[in-house]
Parts: sequence; structure tokens; C-alpha cells
Amino acid sequence: MIDTSTPAVRATGLRKSFRTATGENVVAVDDVDLTIRPGEIVAFLGPNGAGKTTTVDMLLGLTRPDAGTVEVYGMAPAEAVRAGRVSAVMQTGGLLNDFTVAETVRAIAALHGRTDRVDVVLERANLTALAGRRVEACSGGEQQRLKFALALIPDPDLVILDEPTTGMDVGARQEFWQTMRADAALGRTIVFATHYLAEADEFAERTVLMNHGRIVHDAPTTDVRAAYGGRTVTFRPPAEVVGTDGIDAAWLDRVRDALAPLGVTDLEVSAASLEAAFLALTAEIPVDAILEGASR
Amino acid sequence: MTTLSHATTSSTTGARPLPRPAMATYARLDLRRQLRDRIGMFFIVGLPTFMYLVFGLGSDDAVGSGNVAMYVMISMAAYGAVTATTGVAGSAAMEQVMGWGRQLGLTPMRPLAFVAAKAAVAMTVAAMPVALIFGIGAATGARGSWSDWVLAAVIVWLGSALFAIYGLAICLAFRGTNAPGIASGLIVVMAFLGNVFTPMSGFMLDLGRLTPLYGYAALARFPLTDGWLPVAGRDPLWLPVANVLAWTVIFSLLAIWGVRRSRART
Repeated sequence: MIDTSTPAVRATGLRKSFRTATGENVVAVDDVDLTIRPGEIVAFLGPNGAGKTTTVDMLLGLTRPDAGTVEVYGMAPAEAVRAGRVSAVMQTGGLLNDFTVAETVRAIAALHGRTDRVDVVLERANLTALAGRRVEACSGGEQQRLKFALALIPDPDLVILDEPTTGMDVGARQEFWQTMRADAALGRTIVFATHYLAEADEFAERTVLMNHGRIVHDAPTTDVRAAYGGRTVTFRPPAEVVGTDGIDAAWLDRVRDALAPLGVTDLEVSAASLEAAFLALTAEIPVDAILEGASR
Repeated sequence: MTTLSHATTSSTTGARPLPRPAMATYARLDLRRQLRDRIGMFFIVGLPTFMYLVFGLGSDDAVGSGNVAMYVMISMAAYGAVTATTGVAGSAAMEQVMGWGRQLGLTPMRPLAFVAAKAAVAMTVAAMPVALIFGIGAATGARGSWSDWVLAAVIVWLGSALFAIYGLAICLAFRGTNAPGIASGLIVVMAFLGNVFTPMSGFMLDLGRLTPLYGYAALARFPLTDGWLPVAGRDPLWLPVANVLAWTVIFSLLAIWGVRRSRART
């Protein structure tokens, strides 16, 4: 019997290096310590090559660390995978084009010995309507949701997602995270790697910033944002001072003068984010929801 | 089956029953996927059946203990069976290249169980042209002693497993999505060289004796022909046996080399 205080993930002193084609030794993960408690939603944030995927591979037992230990629910990672405690949506995991969506789920469910889960995960991943569609006819976002459905089959306690939204357009990305959010509400532990700052910001309670194989910051997402970005106040100028070539310079000077006594510096003028504009124009989700998300 | 909600199970973790992979269900889904491949099934079942009807049907001239129709029937069934095993093995190799193997790696299934499931699918598909063409042959005047029928069917069917190794080796060697096409294309060439489609003589026959399909097809026809060739001459039994053994070794070494190479890259 494992007591409930067993961490979902406990990694200490993880290190992994690779030899490149030119014979150079590259340290991908360098002395990483990480503990994730059950129920947490954690983002691994960092640029490409920061060591996120290598760390994820070690959590799944797909790569053996050169040094250090990893335990998933107190077990060796490969054992936890076999027991269905942990599953993943991997960047490199592929699907078979000539299976239908439902067949893909049934095939993997058979291998897990969990054929009873087929309908549940199709619904969770919002794929019930696409069940009869061939995988090759699905969009990138739909295929990614299918991989997510496959990850849910063993009813895992921990789901690891490695760059789950790579290659999706903005709308598909929103839809994917809505599906994820609904699932996380059920209490699953979720760890995801991403290089989209916004995804960590919107979805994760805790952000682990990685760079050059090391954890450079590990804190609640709000703290990370505060430490690195501060807060930004935006406002909309009256329409009459906005011309085709920007905002009237004289008016901006008056704003600067008016704000100076309040200690405001670095006044910056920027256009509305294209992403927000694009979403507002194309998404099926109500505009209110987006504005709410943007103001958070 | 548990009726607990997920939130409850995740807090009372620990003793959950170890899942047992339902390999038969997986193999059945995989088989259905294979049978849906119309172009693939045309080459496995349609083409050899068609060729039997064109070249074998009604040819009652005597060959060994039977007739020409029987001879053509065995040859075409052999072609269909090896096309089947080559195709299934090739698609198995492609699945690994496409990343499906990584997906399977996250299930409790052991790699050996995967190989067994694929082998079952390949042998099931290989049995289809054999059953169909032998059935048509039986109904349309192919003649031979009963032992010719049984031995030929068994050798054609089981011997086709050799070409599963071949399909695996070719696809691992060439990689890329067109590898299965290359593998089955080469089967057509080897079928001509191997005395499967048309009887050969002279230099081409001497050359053909060294090619992989020659030994397999000659062995399957041996109960009928006792080694006598349609044009002239007679093969001793050791010749097709040696051919099959030699190619088994060669294809196996190629496949092992291919597996090692694909592992080294990742």
C-alpha cells in the first residue's frame, strides 16, 4: 500500500548527456531536482534544446539517466508506465493513418487491457463525433486530441504532455487546452512541456523554467510572471488621436507628463496582440471568454 | 470494473489490478486494417487468382503425379502468399518508422507479444490466396494425388514466413515510406527469376536457381513434380532445400543488421 503522501514525481540529481554527430559531448539535462505532488499542474517552460524532452523521456523510463534517480509514485518509471499510473502525449509518438479514430483508441485500449475505457476517453477528448473518421483525414489538432485520448486510456494518475500543441493553429490550441482543463478539474496530475509562454501562463499553477539543461526557476506561475515580467497596465486612447501612422505624438507627450508624477516610466505603445484579434474574429468561443483570459 | 470516479481513485492510489493486454483484439483490429488496403489485397489475392485463371485453368497436360493446372495453381498461390507476408512485415517496419512503436511502448505489452500478433496477422493474410486459389483449382480441374495437395498447401503457407523476414529486412534497409513498395516490386522480379510465373530454361534458369523464390516454389511443387522441370531437367531435393536455408540465413542477417542500425540512430 502506497500512502497518499508519495509524490507523483521525485527526481534527484538527474543528469543526461548525449554525444553529437561530431563527437562532441552535450549535456542535455544537468543536475535536475524535481518533486511534483499529486494533483499539481506543472509547466516545463523553456526554449528548444533546454532539456525538456530529455527530462520527460526520463520520467517515462524511455531514457536512462547517466546519474541521479527518478521515481514515479514511488516506482521505477517504466514500471509505473506498465501499471498504467503514468501516460504521455509524446512529440514523436505517431498514429496509423489507415485506422479510424475509434479503432486507434480500441487498439491501444486492448493493449492496456482496458477496452471498457474506449467510450469514456473518446468523450473526454471531445472525439465522439469523429469516431468513424480515418486518422489521415483528421487535422493536426484532432490528431493531437486523439493522442491525448490514448494517454487517458489507462486512467493514469499522471499525464505528461510534451509540446502537445506544436503545429496547431490558434483555435485548435485553445480547444485543446479547454479539453485539458476539463480533465484536470477531475484531479489528475498534469505535467506539460511547452515553449509557448502563454500556455504555461494560462494553464499551469506552477512553472518550472528550464534553460541549458538546468532548472533556473521553479515557483507558482504567478510568481514567475511577477519576477520576470512584472505587471502591465494597458489602456485604449481616444479614437481621435489614433491615425494610420500611429498615435499623435503631442498627445503622447501629454500622457507622459500626466503620468510622470505617479512614478510611471517606460511608456510603451503597442498594437493589440494579433493572437487576440485573430481569435476574436475566428473563434467559436465567445469573445467575452477571450477578453477574460487576456485580462488575467 | 471500478465504479469509482477518477478523483477518488487518484487519492487512494496503489492496489489497482495489473492490466492484461488483449492481444487477440489488437491482432483482429490490425488484420481488419490490412484487409481494407484494397491495392495491397489486389496484389495478394486478385492478381495471383487472375494469373491462375489465365495460365492454369483447363491445362490438363500431365505433370508428375498431376497436371499443369495443379502446377500453375501452386506457383500462383506461392506468389500470393509471399506478397502477403512481405506486405504485412513491411507495414510493421513502417509503423516503427512512423512512431507507432513509441505509442505502443507506453502500453504494458511486451515487444515479443507484438511480434507474435504481427506474425499471426501475416500468416492469416497469407492463408487467403492459398485457400482461394487451391479452392478454385480443386473446382476447375487441377489434378494431383492427395499428398500433393496437402504438402503443397502446407509448404506454400508456412514457407511464406521466410518472406516476412525478407519484407522486414528490405524495409529496415531502405527506410522511407516507399520501402514496402520496393519490397513487393522486387517480389515480382524474383517471381520471374524464380521460375514462378513462366517456365525458364538455359542461362536464365541457372541464374534463377540462386534467387530466393526459386527454392521456395520448387519445394512447394516437389511433391507434384518430384523435381522434374517443365522445360527440361530435374532438380535434386537438396537444391531447393539448400536455397531456402541459404536465403533464410541471408534475410535474417540483413534484418538483424537493419534493426541494429535503426536502434543506433535513435
